[in-house]
Amino acid sequence: MSTATKTNVGKITQVIGSTFDAEFNEKSMPAIYNAVHVDIKVADGKTQKLTGEISKHLGGGRVRCVALGSTDGMRRGQDCVDTGAPVTVPVGECTLGRVFNMVGETVDGRGPVDATEHRSIHRAAPRLDELSTSTELFETGIKVIDLLTPFVRGGKAGLFGGAGLGKTVILTELIARIASAHGGYSVFAGVGERTREGTDLWLEMQETEIGKTGRKVIEQTCMVFGQMNEPPGSRLRVALTALTMAEYFRDKTGKDTLLFVDNIFRFSQAGSEVSALLGRMPSAVGYQPTLATEMGQLQERIASTQNGAITSVQAVYVPADDPTDPAPATAFGQLDAFLYLERSISEKGIYPAVDPLASSSRILDPQYVGERHYTIARRVQTTLQRYRELQDIIAILGVDELSEQDKLVVHRARRIERFLSQPFLVAEVFTGKAGEITSLADTIRSFEEICDGKWDHLPEEAFMYVGVIEQAEEQAKRMAKS
Amino acid sequence: MANARKLDKRRKSIRNIRKITRTMELIATARFKKAMDRAAAATDYTRRITQVVSDLSAAGLEVSHPLLEPRPDPKKATLLVLTANRGLCGGYNGNALRLALNRRNEMVDKQNIATTVDASGKRGITGLKFRKVDVSNGFTQFDDQPKYSEVESIANQYLEQFITGEIDRLDVVYTRFISVAKQETVVETLLPLGQLTDGLAPAATEAKSEQQAIYEFVPSAASILEEVVPTSFKVKLFKCFLDAAVSEQIARMVAMKNATKSASDMIKSLSLTYNRARQSQITGEIMEIIGGVEAMKS
Repeated sequence: MSTATKTNVGKITQVIGSTFDAEFNEKSMPAIYNAVHVDIKVADGKTQKLTGEISKHLGGGRVRCVALGSTDGMRRGQDCVDTGAPVTVPVGECTLGRVFNMVGETVDGRGPVDATEHRSIHRAAPRLDELSTSTELFETGIKVIDLLTPFVRGGKAGLFGGAGLGKTVILTELIARIASAHGGYSVFAGVGERTREGTDLWLEMQETEIGKTGRKVIEQTCMVFGQMNEPPGSRLRVALTALTMAEYFRDKTGKDTLLFVDNIFRFSQAGSEVSALLGRMPSAVGYQPTLATEMGQLQERIASTQNGAITSVQAVYVPADDPTDPAPATAFGQLDAFLYLERSISEKGIYPAVDPLASSSRILDPQYVGERHYTIARRVQTTLQRYRELQDIIAILGVDELSEQDKLVVHRARRIERFLSQPFLVAEVFTGKAGEITSLADTIRSFEEICDGKWDHLPEEAFMYVGVIEQAEEQAKRMAKS
Repeated sequence: MANARKLDKRRKSIRNIRKITRTMELIATARFKKAMDRAAAATDYTRRITQVVSDLSAAGLEVSHPLLEPRPDPKKATLLVLTANRGLCGGYNGNALRLALNRRNEMVDKQNIATTVDASGKRGITGLKFRKVDVSNGFTQFDDQPKYSEVESIANQYLEQFITGEIDRLDVVYTRFISVAKQETVVETLLPLGQLTDGLAPAATEAKSEQQAIYEFVPSAASILEEVVPTSFKVKLFKCFLDAAVSEQIARMVAMKNATKSASDMIKSLSLTYNRARQSQITGEIMEIIGGVEAMKS
């Protein structure tokens, strides 16, 4: 907002939903992605500043902008001021413990931040030679994740799932597990989800301590929200705002940074809304033709460099439980590990409802996780795969018609299936069971013993919501008593 | 929404399964009738022979026969398991096997009896093998119409073994036919025979009280007993086989009926999903075309 550009003022010529057109002098056109400001009179006589982003030059001096706030109260003929630069947001240590909106203003009611540095939200992805190449497993203490879809330190993990399968719960659980044991910084981006969930998370972070340091998680975290009520422009860019803040921590402090995004699908969805308003021709299933580009630009920036790492966990909504929908499909390819949440599993009451066959991880490979871990993960998957193949036969003819070998497979698969459930720290109030953090070694041993048939005698229910296998044994004893 | 073509393929394969199960149901029904008639005929014979025996004992004779004497401390026993040669009959084979294994474990572990296991029916033989139980004699010649001559030869073997002391006990695990709606998997001790009237229909005892026929035994009651007791065992064993055969057909009938029903249900729900998938595919395509046209207009 330097004085030189103050003079560059245009007039609004058209308002269409959350996009608007403005006319500038043809000789001093604002560049694409530049931010423009419009002062809007709101109901009670106050004025509110609306930021827009140039996204299209229409010919002549006319430009089309995406509003990053509500266009309510906007009129034709209003002044539109070019700021001469893209949207910039405050970055640095001062952002920690605070809550921002998409344009970098604080929304937690504690006044503006005193930032020494601002960065543009549009930046290039790290260059090829800057990227870090190390691959290391990132332990979460959740059995199904550690065994079948191990996360990568400095990598990206996605949680795919339809409506109401517990994506947000798993994400908050991961925050509770990782962030509370993590020395670096965390950035949370709330993209187009419920504001209530954001508030819950904020309050919870103020209560949770980091390890035993006596400091709260929120002190190491900054949160950025562009929730459901925001216009599409805001939801489209809010992930970038959060990412810009995370990038600063990575580049400047060199500490490991965590980036949580809930929900990346809303980013694609907002892009589709904006695209329609901008008059682009829709592509498959009505999405924007630039779907893959937008996703790629965002995801490529979430990268670990030699300076520091960004480990990111993203929730991805799967519309109508159809993973072939273009929005989740484009996100698939970007991730190191993905968890697919399955409705049929949540219907059985097994949470986390991770589909052990559809989920996978890049590092589930003997080279990274070791031969033993890999073999056991594959055995678990083979057993479950066979069980799924037999499901039709069981549904029609009944379990008695299976061969003896298959009966055993079914017997163990049903136990494995239940053993993949786990009580969560954040769900303690609902389940009445204390959260379980299971170490990777215990997880591997437990599953190996189940596959070997050591626990065939325990009833199925004993495997529900326990940590290591010995707890299943205890639960079986308790059940036998009652 | 799942792939429409995949759904259709799955639906077709389930239709084929339904065809098979429906046919099997019909066949089982027909066979059940035949087996049932045979069993009914055998019941009459068994009842008669029991009556003769009970009349014999009522004649005030001292009944003594090696087959009737209980052996208080059995050391060796044989467990005969009657199962089907074929599957697709619900829990029929599984139940018999489960009971047999429980019985065997009980005998071996708790009562310290050296038990050999004989099995009739392929399913039983393979099932026992899978559970690491040695089957010393496997019979696969019995189908839905067991022949008396074949049962008799087996019965003779057991009789010989029992008399020579090779075995002290013979237990048979089979599915007893009670009525069309009820069959029960039971363990029955056939050797030693114990009470002659044991295990037979109460009709026999009723008949005894009603009509006290007066027989004259020629040459003597004892020599007739000598004939009748082994026959009674054979008949009992034969009855077990007949019951098992009837129960098998009923089990198959019921299992196939259920299978046909669940296949139909599955086809129905698959059809719904398929139609929905197909419809949404069409809608999607139409929307894309219209969207394209609209976009080209402006």
